[in-house]
Amino acid sequence: MIRLLPWLYLLAAFAFIYLPVGALVLFSFQDGALPVPPFNGPSLHWYADVLRDDRLTGALGHSLIVALGSSAVATILGFLAAYGLARHILPGSAAIRALLIAPLTVSYLIVGLGLLIVLTRAGSGLSLATAAIGHVVINLPLAFAIIYASMGAQQQNAERAARDLGAGEAQVVLLITVPMLAPALAAAFFLSVTLSWDEFIIAFLLTRFDVTLPVEIWSMLRSGLSPRLNAIGSLVFLVSVTVVLILELLVFRKRRA
Amino acid sequence: MTAAIHLDAVNHWFAQFHALKDISLTVEAGEYVTLLGPSGCGKTTLLSVLGGFVDPAKGTVRIGDREMTHVPPAHRPTTTMFQDYALFPHMSLRDNVAFGLRMAGMARAQRNRKAEVQLALVGLADAGRKRPHELSGGQRQRVALARALAVEPEVLLLDEPLGALDLKLRRAMQDELKAIQRQVGTTFVHVTHDQEEAMAIADRIVVMNAGRIEDHGPPTRIYRQPATLFAADFMGEMNHIPARLTGSGAETPFGPLAHAQGGSGPAVACLRPEAIHLGAGTFNLGQVRVRDAAFFGTHVRAHLVPEAAADLLIVAHLPADSLPAPGEMLTLCTEPDAFCVFAEEA
Amino acid sequence: MQGWGLVAPALLWTIAFFVVPFVVMGAMSLATLDGRTLIWDLSFANYAELAEKRYLWRAIVVSLEITLTVTLVSVVLAYPLAWIIAFRVPQRWQRLVLLLAILPFWTSYVVRSYAWLLVLAREGVVNQTLMGIGIVSDPITLANTRFATVTGFVHFFVMLLTLTIYANLIQLSPNYRRAAMDLGASAFQTFRHVILPLTLPGVVTGAFLTFVLCIGDYVTPQILGGNTELTVPQVIMVQLGRRADFPLASALAIVLMGLVTIAYLASARWLRIDRL
Repeated sequence: MIRLLPWLYLLAAFAFIYLPVGALVLFSFQDGALPVPPFNGPSLHWYADVLRDDRLTGALGHSLIVALGSSAVATILGFLAAYGLARHILPGSAAIRALLIAPLTVSYLIVGLGLLIVLTRAGSGLSLATAAIGHVVINLPLAFAIIYASMGAQQQNAERAARDLGAGEAQVVLLITVPMLAPALAAAFFLSVTLSWDEFIIAFLLTRFDVTLPVEIWSMLRSGLSPRLNAIGSLVFLVSVTVVLILELLVFRKRRA
Repeated sequence: MTAAIHLDAVNHWFAQFHALKDISLTVEAGEYVTLLGPSGCGKTTLLSVLGGFVDPAKGTVRIGDREMTHVPPAHRPTTTMFQDYALFPHMSLRDNVAFGLRMAGMARAQRNRKAEVQLALVGLADAGRKRPHELSGGQRQRVALARALAVEPEVLLLDEPLGALDLKLRRAMQDELKAIQRQVGTTFVHVTHDQEEAMAIADRIVVMNAGRIEDHGPPTRIYRQPATLFAADFMGEMNHIPARLTGSGAETPFGPLAHAQGGSGPAVACLRPEAIHLGAGTFNLGQVRVRDAAFFGTHVRAHLVPEAAADLLIVAHLPADSLPAPGEMLTLCTEPDAFCVFAEEA
Repeated sequence: MQGWGLVAPALLWTIAFFVVPFVVMGAMSLATLDGRTLIWDLSFANYAELAEKRYLWRAIVVSLEITLTVTLVSVVLAYPLAWIIAFRVPQRWQRLVLLLAILPFWTSYVVRSYAWLLVLAREGVVNQTLMGIGIVSDPITLANTRFATVTGFVHFFVMLLTLTIYANLIQLSPNYRRAAMDLGASAFQTFRHVILPLTLPGVVTGAFLTFVLCIGDYVTPQILGGNTELTVPQVIMVQLGRRADFPLASALAIVLMGLVTIAYLASARWLRIDRL
């Protein structure tokens, strides 16, 4: 009995962890108007419904643009800053690092609120671009931290060797640094994509007419439980899990080898 | 406190890998034994079987007169000194050393007093309040020893205890370990891959390879008359001279050897570099041509090609006062007793 | 000079879109609203209002109560789970079990709260199951309560904490456990005297992260808690939406930051930010 206890606990924990996701996915196949027991189905009716909905597919497109665009900017800025700080001696570099990491310690709500105040004061309108600016603010610290942490002495020696063999500064970065840092750059980019793709509160505060998927889902929530929400939620989950698995298989597996 | 150990036909597998093959061994009470072998030979697994961290698939372990095969570590009269020392970083040295006594329910004042005595034994009398991270590698090693001895085990198990130390400190600690073992009288079983360490410290060496015991006995016997070719090579550098068993002895390029133990077919005659001398003697190696020679402080190490076997390259340790030039001819000899002859495996 | 050129874009971005908004928000919290016009009078009127109006300070208390409950329950549930995965599950399966244990972590967080609504609703999975077995005859109220909010939060943070505690457990040398047991410690004594103290920094760091994320979240209490009681983020959103009272919202945000700072100071002794 005592020996079984850990396994029972593991089982109970998995039941707890998978209960909501299970209900979400199961009742997305519900043949009926309410996503609650008893289960009738399976039916792909609600998936067809969701894919026909222009507002949802539009929001999905917006989310992709915001996620890819803001992650690309965050990764590039994070890489440049990490390279600058790791390879050059700058006065006050500890303070610069602390400043770049600082947004991590502040809730998204406060980041969004601050930007909203400044943007409305400045009289600039709200759009997908302003949401993307907010997403860069929250993802830049992560991208910087991940890339900075992987800039070791090994890379530095390879860079020195390349310079010694006559490579120019741009060639060193493009031919040595970037390829050697590829796993860290990919990790920073994909982590940033998943976080931006899922982000709600900043996107909610900083968009107006065109909105991202989480914001669109939020407005659907007002009409209560619906298998449509289950279907779109399951699709979003599938996308996130795919990105996570790609990251796990490509980046982390390679890094361990 | 001290106790003897009896292992009988111990076998263990890690998945398909046969890590211990029919290990039978007796260690006397109060003996200092080293388990010597290359990495992956099973010596650490055997130590884990003794400590109770690995449950052997087959065979029995007896410590003193008690059957201990499946008894958990906490209930064995053994303690282990781990390779990374495993000192608890959040405790002072005194709390580390007193930990086992605390687990046994000893009152604070009493266990602290005992811990101080143990720390004094290993030469850290006034360091009880320090934390492990304030110590050097050698000092940590001493604390780990004190902690393992504080519970007065009957058998102390040491897993590569000197592996993390630099050479000079290692040699000093070897002497100290031996002295402490004599003082407390506990049975010590010490795992190492360094044959010099094993010879310096052990009453008896157990040479292991591929999960088996190759040879066991006092250091001088294992060094001079190893039981197997593996043990011969592992204990130090050996010249391998091709030979042939003739029933009553062995035929070598340098002449017959009388003392081989029967059999026939191809064999290897082994000779240590330091057993070779200049001049003529009881067993002559004849003329050799010097290929190269280098000064090593205590001796000159030379690569030599004998006239009697031109395709052979012999290593010899010659006196430090003469550095022969390449191409020079020398006359060498040895004693018939210096050879060990092993039949070649089919 | 070249170094500055590389660091400048990221630095300017952070200053323009994080530091400046933050400073403006701080200044805004000292302004007041007269009808629809802002008056920059550097007064502490908004903070005084927080102390005076019951629904405002009540929100602070509710936020703290929920956050502390969530942090405590999540740590207590996650530690054994991380322990079992690290020390009971065979090594070759550990990575897979861990990956599976935190997979729902990646559900969109709006969707995750909605999914709990499915489970806890009046006609939801839990009630239908309980009535099916016959434990209750009428549905019990689970959704739109503090219980639902806490459950939704705990679900998320158990996964997060399992990951951080697991990472702390496996980086300990297995010889610490062996040494403790070798010296006669029972499994519980090994945990109490050796493993727990050694993993405490990691646990406190995870708990601090839980505190920060939980106290600043708007979505979970809004979807699951209903409107029976409001948390600070919910009140901030009310100020923004209905009344466009930016000064009061800013003051509440500053209070939120203050609570996080207090939590930071309380746990600073054990915090290891680099272990996140």
